[in-house]
Amino acid sequence: MSAKLKRTVIAWAVLSPLVVVTLFPFAVMLITALKPPTEVLTPNWVPSRLAWENFVSMWSATNFGPALWNSIYVGVLSTAIAIAVSIPFAYALNRFDFGAKGFLRQFLLVTQMLSPIVLVIGLFRIAAALGLIDNVNSVVLVYGAFNIAFTVWMLQSYFATIPRDLEEAAWLEGASHASALVRVFLPLAVPAITVTAIFSFIQAWNEFVIALTMLRRQESYTLPIQIFSLVAGRYTVEWHHVMAASLVATIPVAIIFAWLQRYLVRGLGVGAVK
Amino acid sequence: MQRTAPLAPYALVMPGFLLAAFIVLWPLYQLGVISTSEVNRFGQLRGFAGLENYVAVFTDPDFIGALWRTLIWTFGIVFGALAVSFPVAMILHEDFYGRGVARVIVMLPWAVSITMTAIVWRWALNGESGMLNSGLKNLNIIDTNIQWLAQAATAFPVQIMIGILVTVPFTVTIFLGGLSSISGDLYEAARLEGSSPLQTFRKITFPLMRPFVNIAVVLNTIYVFNSFPIIWATTQGGPANSTDILVTYLYKLGFRFGKLGEASALSLMMFALLLAFTILYVYLASREVRE
Repeated sequence: MSAKLKRTVIAWAVLSPLVVVTLFPFAVMLITALKPPTEVLTPNWVPSRLAWENFVSMWSATNFGPALWNSIYVGVLSTAIAIAVSIPFAYALNRFDFGAKGFLRQFLLVTQMLSPIVLVIGLFRIAAALGLIDNVNSVVLVYGAFNIAFTVWMLQSYFATIPRDLEEAAWLEGASHASALVRVFLPLAVPAITVTAIFSFIQAWNEFVIALTMLRRQESYTLPIQIFSLVAGRYTVEWHHVMAASLVATIPVAIIFAWLQRYLVRGLGVGAVK
Repeated sequence: MQRTAPLAPYALVMPGFLLAAFIVLWPLYQLGVISTSEVNRFGQLRGFAGLENYVAVFTDPDFIGALWRTLIWTFGIVFGALAVSFPVAMILHEDFYGRGVARVIVMLPWAVSITMTAIVWRWALNGESGMLNSGLKNLNIIDTNIQWLAQAATAFPVQIMIGILVTVPFTVTIFLGGLSSISGDLYEAARLEGSSPLQTFRKITFPLMRPFVNIAVVLNTIYVFNSFPIIWATTQGGPANSTDILVTYLYKLGFRFGKLGEASALSLMMFALLLAFTILYVYLASREVRE
């Protein structure tokens, strides 16, 4: 047996318990989503047939469309707010030398760590004072503001990799700072901004506590709250619908996340702590 | 560096800074006011109450229970994830057939929202129709169905297990970063000196991984301490508050029992604790950067 083959056997043997436990919920989700409604309560592993129609009946049974729209609305708008204020913020941190820089970096690190849950009562009162309870815009505001620390941090770590020479060359040719920024810097920063925006969107897509607190009526529910509401405090749960809805709400975002994960790790600098 | 307009950076930073500061400082101010006021259940303030709300939190037996459980929860998940992630990272750092697939599988839970993961587990753990019971029965590990989520004795350990599962990907990522930063020359030198694998691990891998372990422990402590969806989406702290941790207890206090004063007092205390941990993280992170 070659050395690599031996390593392979040992590696998979050691990993196998974790692999089984990790894949188990995905198997449960997929199998339940595809079971005919009459078989859902029998815990067999192989359905008698694949009930693809669950995905069609789920759409109206779980109020999926409106919740999907709310999630998209919240994700896009909160990301737009965070990115719009974060680009100049990150640019300033990167290209200028100024007194408050150290303070701002620490401020970002600290706010990035703060979980909204300890502030949720205060946030609820702000939303109430603004008359925004049950209104998805309250969630947009909170997500947008809370994501700033993360988006600035990501952006500035990528901006640092964009060479200054190009902007300086533009100034020498008579471009103003503003036009050098727009014409030279921003086009180079598009990939970084895109990746950061996607992560900001995913965070908004997955968020639970704030949405649970602020959104009390079904018309304003985002997907996690909508799906949770089908499960919590009910006598009968249509599990095949819940699992089909979870699957549709989860998989596209999960694929994008898996694809871009390495940028997150690099951007946050956790992999680069040396 | 540009030095032409000294106020330019401040102008660029200001909108973002104001918004980010507002969303933290204004709720904090609100919490400060509410926590020292008498509040009725509709949230109207009824005069100054001093530290009454703080005292009320500490004398509530449910708080003591939740506090105790939070310690077990945080400690169990942080160290459980550490114990799983370290060997997993070491394996994934090796070259073997199917490593790419293995990495994707290990990272998978990170890509899914924790709420959805918890909802799927809630179904998988269902006593009568759950597939965990049927799977364990097929393997002859159990012969009667276990009501996993109906009793704290099984619900809480299972919730901790789910917590460990969703914490592993992030922790493995940190450790993989750490392992790849250790120079191959060191291992080569150790091998030439005739060092055994165990010695190499003790003298090289482990000491050089220390900073990464520290960072993982502090960051995970912050995340896990605040983790709400796993418990809320599986048991909502039940049965009879027996799986409540501080965050779920806080939520019930504020939005179910209408005790906003006490909930605000608890929020502020948790905020202070969190801030202390965050400062510890900033200190550790900046120390690592300097070294």
